[in-house]
Amino acid sequence: MDNVCEDQTFSSLFKAHSKSVFNYIYYKFGNEEKANDAVQEAFVKLWENCAKVTPDKAKSFVYTVANNLYLNVIKAEKVRLKYAEKGDDRSHESPEFLMEEKEYKQKLDNALDALPENQRTTFLLNRIDGKKYAEIAEMEGVSVKAIEKRMHLALKSLREQIDGI
Amino acid sequence: MQENYLAKWLSGELSEAELAEFKKSEEYASYQKLLEVSKTLEAPNFDADEAFQRLKTERIGNSPKVITLNPFKKFLRVAAVIAVLLAGSYFYVSSLDETYSTQLAERTEVTLPDNSEIFLNAESQISFSKKKWDQKRDVTLKGEAFFRVAKGKKFTVSTDQGTVAVLGTQFNVENRDNFFEVTCFEGLVSVTFKGKETKLPAGTSFVVIDGVIQPTNKPEGAHPAWMNNESSFDRIPLKYVLAELERQFNVSVKTKDVNTELIFTGSFDNTNLEMALKSISTPSHIKYTVEDDNVLFYAGNTPQ
Repeated sequence: MDNVCEDQTFSSLFKAHSKSVFNYIYYKFGNEEKANDAVQEAFVKLWENCAKVTPDKAKSFVYTVANNLYLNVIKAEKVRLKYAEKGDDRSHESPEFLMEEKEYKQKLDNALDALPENQRTTFLLNRIDGKKYAEIAEMEGVSVKAIEKRMHLALKSLREQIDGI
Repeated sequence: MQENYLAKWLSGELSEAELAEFKKSEEYASYQKLLEVSKTLEAPNFDADEAFQRLKTERIGNSPKVITLNPFKKFLRVAAVIAVLLAGSYFYVSSLDETYSTQLAERTEVTLPDNSEIFLNAESQISFSKKKWDQKRDVTLKGEAFFRVAKGKKFTVSTDQGTVAVLGTQFNVENRDNFFEVTCFEGLVSVTFKGKETKLPAGTSFVVIDGVIQPTNKPEGAHPAWMNNESSFDRIPLKYVLAELERQFNVSVKTKDVNTELIFTGSFDNTNLEMALKSISTPSHIKYTVEDDNVLFYAGNTPQ
């Protein structure tokens, strides 16, 4: 079986999972620097433990390390998340519509900021990364039901925030 | 509506009836819009190649992390004393690995790229990858060695009977046929034997004979006796004592009517065969003859 200590295997694992780890930590903290640091730390740990981790366990290993890194971070830090807009061609839409869209997105951004971290992380992992509840549950170390609850509460909060009721 | 129905709706797990009911609700339109707009969200850019380059050069780089200037040598010397591990078939040798071995009645010292030191007892062999040393400090051992591990990343010693992981301590590892002993003299060591991990703080030993873990006493001194030219045994079956005698003096030891399972506690001088033979025979109430390289232990008369 492939060995994680081999350069080839290790770099493949990095290419396969680094973006995921980056996104994950970014969703949690809205901080790119932290997210980049988390990727570095997680994979350094993987390298140091390469003799003890098999390639198929490497993914959950790096998620666990990344997750643990920030367990104690004070979450009082103001989280400002910025979401790049997809470059769709919107020129055929009316200016009013585009303005409305922009406002809506701003409201959504604010509402996401206001969510508790675990709900936000769950929501974004599903909406942006396309992760299924089972996978998110594994990453976060909780049950699928817990993830469903977080998702439900997130959707409810977001709607209430945006609609103003 | 079922519990967490919004989550179920998102994942397409609502029943047709529930979906129809949801669609009739006032908030449905809002949720629908939320769903669509959230699809356009994106995470910031992440350049995996650049991150990988950074990882290699800054974190897992080729430049050694341990300062090798001589004046600092003493400060860096934190060794774990672990008893020698027996490394039989685990021996992995490749063209990239450095190998050092000792013959019978021979000892040697090896300095590793990070200034860690290994003292090999007789008939032992160690092997490690010089090239990969900065990334991974792993030594494969057959026989017996005393390790002084420089402070730094995890240091592991692999043998065919178990693995020892250290974070900067002094330890001795002994790995002979059916005999596995790890002694920690300073620091903390972790021994993995048959899949189970045991932590050994300074001043403790872990001994396995014939696959069975033995109770142990506190080891004496700051390093193993053999480094002072003495082979020391604490409640060890005689056969292992005789095996060590063979190794230290490069003699062939035979026995006649002697119970080699007898438990022996004592030591012998590694530099003087006659004295060594006396040290073994007297407490065990046996006699010996020696001719050139052949030693024979035989049953003595009834002890007084």
